[in-house]
Order: sequence, then structure tokens, then C-alpha cells
Amino acid sequence: MTYFKICNSKILATFTLLAAVIVGRPSVSMGAESTPGLPKVKVFTTGGTIQGAGPARNEVANYRGDGSMVTGKMILDDIPEVKKIADVSLEETAAVASANTKILIELANHISEWLQRPDTSGAVVTHGTATMEETAYFLNLTVRSDKPVVVVGAMRPFMAISRDGPLNLYNAIRVAADPEARDLGVMVLLNDEIHASRDVTKTNTVRVSTFVSRDLGPLGFADSDRIVLYRKLLYRHTHKSEFDVSKMTDLPKVDIVYGYQEGGRAAVDAFIADGAKGIVLVDGGAGGGAIEDGRKKGVVFVQSDRKGSGRVMEGPRSAARGVVTADNLNGQKARDLLRLALSKTTDIKEIQRIFDEY
Amino acid sequence: MKITLIISFLAVASLVPAQETPAATKALKISAEIPKQPMPQILKDNSKLPHVVLMSMGGTIAARAADRMNLTEYGSGPRVEPQDWLDELPELANIARVTTDDMRSPKGRHDGGETAEDMRNVAKRLNELAKDPGIDGFVVTHGTNTMAEVAYYMTLTVNTDKPIVFVGSQRPWSGISGDGPINLYNAVRVAASPLARGKGVLQCMNYDIHTARDVTKTNAYRVQTFKSIDLGPIGFADPDKVVFYTEPRRKHTTQSAFAGMDFETLPPVEVFYAYSDAPGYLIDAAVEHGVKGIVVDGTGAGNPTGSENEALTKAQAKGVIVVITTRTRGGRVQETKRRLDRGIINGDNLPPEKARLLLQLALTKTSNWKEIKKYFDEY
Repeated sequence: MTYFKICNSKILATFTLLAAVIVGRPSVSMGAESTPGLPKVKVFTTGGTIQGAGPARNEVANYRGDGSMVTGKMILDDIPEVKKIADVSLEETAAVASANTKILIELANHISEWLQRPDTSGAVVTHGTATMEETAYFLNLTVRSDKPVVVVGAMRPFMAISRDGPLNLYNAIRVAADPEARDLGVMVLLNDEIHASRDVTKTNTVRVSTFVSRDLGPLGFADSDRIVLYRKLLYRHTHKSEFDVSKMTDLPKVDIVYGYQEGGRAAVDAFIADGAKGIVLVDGGAGGGAIEDGRKKGVVFVQSDRKGSGRVMEGPRSAARGVVTADNLNGQKARDLLRLALSKTTDIKEIQRIFDEY
Repeated sequence: MKITLIISFLAVASLVPAQETPAATKALKISAEIPKQPMPQILKDNSKLPHVVLMSMGGTIAARAADRMNLTEYGSGPRVEPQDWLDELPELANIARVTTDDMRSPKGRHDGGETAEDMRNVAKRLNELAKDPGIDGFVVTHGTNTMAEVAYYMTLTVNTDKPIVFVGSQRPWSGISGDGPINLYNAVRVAASPLARGKGVLQCMNYDIHTARDVTKTNAYRVQTFKSIDLGPIGFADPDKVVFYTEPRRKHTTQSAFAGMDFETLPPVEVFYAYSDAPGYLIDAAVEHGVKGIVVDGTGAGNPTGSENEALTKAQAKGVIVVITTRTRGGRVQETKRRLDRGIINGDNLPPEKARLLLQLALTKTSNWKEIKKYFDEY
């Protein structure tokens, strides 16, 4: 209840104001509260529902109206129990609902720098759930370390009844501090389940069980008795990735076109006119010769699918059209990978190799 | 037949939107008669292909009925001989050099008649054959009902990193729209794939590749019956390629403490189901009968019910080992202080039929419950 009162006072207004301007704010140590000797985990906060401050504690959907957020420090201070399991520090990277390219690159580089220090154990990123999967997959392709990185969020805002944030954040820190969780790339953890960022997707608008790896299932669980991991990854990620964003400030523009009956060419043409170097087609996509014309301009097309499960097969038809198949990456993740691929090459065969390996 | 084709032609024609794309219109060629498909072309020289042993343990995939609409009671027809599969799927010869091995139960044994001895014989046979450097992989057909636990027994006892793929079908080999042929074809593809090595015993039906540990049958009739409820498959035998995304971390095959071992008999272990006010006398009777281990498929987080608890305490006093699983079929039974205090082993997320096999094997090594608990944490 204390938080509730504080946050509804003028202090919340100050926090909100701060939240809007703290992008790129330097590391804040938890100082005397941190626990030396335990695994060093840094929490990078970026905003999202886990930091959302709604107008009332039963308001679990319409809490974004006034854009209020609490600070990253507040969500950490909320779980003092982590001091028993990790030496936690904090970097408030951003305070937004959904990250942009600048934040993504900055986040990837800050996490890499942190994890490349020999004395650190892992990293946690707090993030809004709506685009969490694509931020997590972007980090999976760009963070250069085999140490655990766990992306976490909440479905209910910071002050809501039955909020899921505290347990999710606590579990994320447990996984990040666990050496067993190395070499699993960037993971997403909500609702006790540890998912591979490549495979997880948000499947429900409000339930706490929203994150599901439809095709492949989770890698393991953050259960009360132990962190238990059942799977090793076979595709390339993090320290095995060829993508380096340490010198980058931006990435090629890639847009997504959804397929439906009688879908025309207007969207593809407009995106290309706006500077798109790549287009992800989510199931069919564009008719009317848009793909053929786009190919002539050097635009790269990737075929994903709107069913949300199953792979797009490689075959003579897609090869003849010069369209790259996205395996079972959904549209938003195929976009992440295509942007990074286009930062290196525009060769279709090379980009298909990349989609086969990541 | 022709009328149907015309109707479907009209239906398709009316659904297809007017498209300017030349490629899209060109692709539609509608034949008024069933086009003749050429006989599959078979490689003349397949000596370079991997050698896959197709072992039959029978099952629905090896069953025929007199009537193709009979999808439920198909014991009546002549059994499918292993060679029949090769004759009816000549395409297999383009994937691998497939030879057969017949490990079926004796003819005429009733449904579910497979014995623990049959299972151990197959483990023994696989261990023998796996040593042959001329063999690259195995496909084992099996009835779907107990396929998952038999596959789990193999992943605990067969000492090889060569692929062993369990396969079956939901509809008999003679059934309309039978899933047997494509399942068998895909299983051979997986067994012939070097990507499938070192992943423990696998199970492949309906395109999904599961680990023996995690897979379970979830539906009586549907072709998508096999699921790894907690964890999902590790890859797919898709039409374009066999693809793996993950592999198991839990111990299996070459890392197993039971790898390559042959057991004439295994210590008796029985399974008890928990339900509202379940009685303890069944457990008492089993102890009286000489069981060395008990698996209780508990409610929720893993709780025996009714007087089962008293019966378990009495059983433990006689040295019987107790493992708890959960009847929810999803989620782990966790290690708790209460269970540790009582000397009860948490069965992780194994279903009781698999926990039983692991407990039987563990009991061949030790009767110390703390030692046995380690097996449940690591396998």
C-alpha cells in the first residue's frame, strides 16, 4: 500500500517526468544494498507494463492512459529477496512502451560490455511484453557473450492486484545468476517458463500465460525448488552470431506486409518508395507483380507465415521467385534477422543461409 | 468421379480472385482425369546411402483389417510383414539401404500383450546391432499405446549415439487415409540423418520429432496424438528437410548409467493413481506381494490422497522406495522440505509409467532413496 500512496502523489509525477528523460542514463549501483561475493547480475530496464503505474489497483488494462511509470530502481527495491541470490546492479536504459532501433543497438552493446567483464554472471532486461519477443531475438543475434541474458516483463502493471512482475523479475535474476543457463542465448521468462527468444511469441492480450513457444516449447522452468533446463540450442546465437552492432547507429529499413485474400501491391510499393531495403511477407503478401518489380530494384523479400506455427518450406517455387524462406520465424522476428542480414549482404543465397542458421 | 471434378473445378475457379500476376494463373492447370503419376524412380546404386535397420515391434502400423473403413478393431487381417513396408514404399530405397529385423511378439497374443521380456529383448538386440559399424540408424515400429515408455526404456539402456527412431500410426496400414506410410517414410529419413545422432532415442509421427523422455500419447485416435506436453518437440521431419532446433540435456543412451546393460528381471515397481479419498489397501497389498518400489501418480503438485499416505509410510518402513508424479501431466513435481523429510522422491515431470521404469532400473543399482533421487534429477 505504501507504494500506492507514494506513486499517486506528486512523487509519481516526478518519476514520470524522469522516466521520459532517462534514456542512456548511466549505471546506478544499488550501493550498500548489493551483495558482494554473489553472482553479479545487471538489470537493464526499458519501461513497459512491469514499470507501469495505473490509476487504480484493479485497473489491469487501461493503465497507459496517463503514461505513468515507476523507475527501474523501484521495481528492484520491490524484491529485496534477490540480495540473497545475486549482486544486482541497475542500468535504466530507457523508459518506453516499445523499443526503437537506437535503443536496441544501445542495449545490445551495453549488455555485451557488461557480460564481457570477467567478473559478471548475467544480464536481465525488463521490457514491455508487446514487442518483447523481437527485442529479445534482436539481442539473441547481437549480444556477444555466452552468459545468460533474460528478458522479462509483466502482464499486470506495477501496482495492480495479483501483479506478476515481482515473481517474474525475481526468477529472471535467478536464471541470469545460474551458470547452467549459459549458451542458451537470450531467453524470455514470464510465468515460470524459460523460453528461447527465437521461438517464443506473445499469444494472448491479457493472460499471464501469454508467452508460448508454439512450435518447440520452453527450454525449462524457474520452479521454486530449482532452475531446471531440459534443452540445448542447435542454431546460432549470441557468441556464435556473425552480427556485430558495436559500431552501428542504425540498420536497413525492413517492413512487414500481411497477406490476405486479394492483397494487392500498394503496401509493398509504398514501403519501397519510403526506402525499405527488405520486405517480410507474412503469408502470400503482395500480388500484382510487386515482388518481381521490387526484386529488380534490389529489394529482398522474405516469406514468413501468418499461421503462427510450422515452417515455411524451401522449394523450387520460392527459389524461382528469388524469395527467401523464413523457416518458422514469425514476421517480426524475420524482420529483425533480415535487417541484420542486409547490413552485411544483399545476396539472396547468402541471406537464405542466414535464415537457415539462426 | 468426373462430375466431382467439374464441381470442384467450378468451386476453385470461383474462389480464385482475378489476379494480374501471370505466375499465379499459369500455375493452375486443372485436369479432368486423375493424372498418371510415374512410378517412383529408384536409385540404381544406393551403396553410398546410410544403412537403416527397420525393426518391427508390430503395432497398428503393422496391422490390417479386411475393410479399409475399419479404423478401430483391426486385429482380423493378416499382419504386415516387415518386407511388406519396403515393397509398398519403394521410395525408402532413395533415402537409405533399409533392412528389416522382426522383433514382434508371437502371433495371436492379445492386444497389449507385449511383456517386459519383449522390451528387454529389443534393448538387447539394439545393443548388439548398434555395435555393427555397417549400421547407421534404426527405426523401431511399435503400437502407440505404450510406445513412449518403451522408447524411454531404450534411451536409458541402449549404448549408442546412432539414431533410434520409434514410429507407429493411429490408423491401421490398411485404413483409409492411413498415417502409417508417411510416418514410416519420415522416420527412415530421421534415422538416416547424421543430424539425429547423439540425441537419445527419438519418436517421430505427424512430422514432429520428440525425445523419448518427454513424449507422451495425448489422444486416443487423432494423428497428432504424440506431444511433449511440457517441452515440445526438438525438430521436424518436414517435406523439405529434417530439421533440429534443440537437443536434450538430461542423460540418455551413451551417458546413461544403464547403457548396454541387460537385465534378466527388474525389481517389481507398481503405479497407484491418486483421487479423492483413494484407499491405501492396494498399496498394502502390493507391499505384501513384494514390490520394491511404488509410484503414486499424485494430484496437483504431487499429492497422494486418502489413506494412501499412511500406506506409503508403512511401505517405506519396509524399505520400499516411493516416487511421486503428477496426474496433471504438465509441470514438475518439485523437491520440497516435506518430501525430503519423508524420504519421498519427486518424479520431476516424468509420467508414472516412465517413472516406474527409471525406478526399476535405479533399484538395480541401489536401494538408497537419496541415490535414487539423483537419477530422477538427472535423467
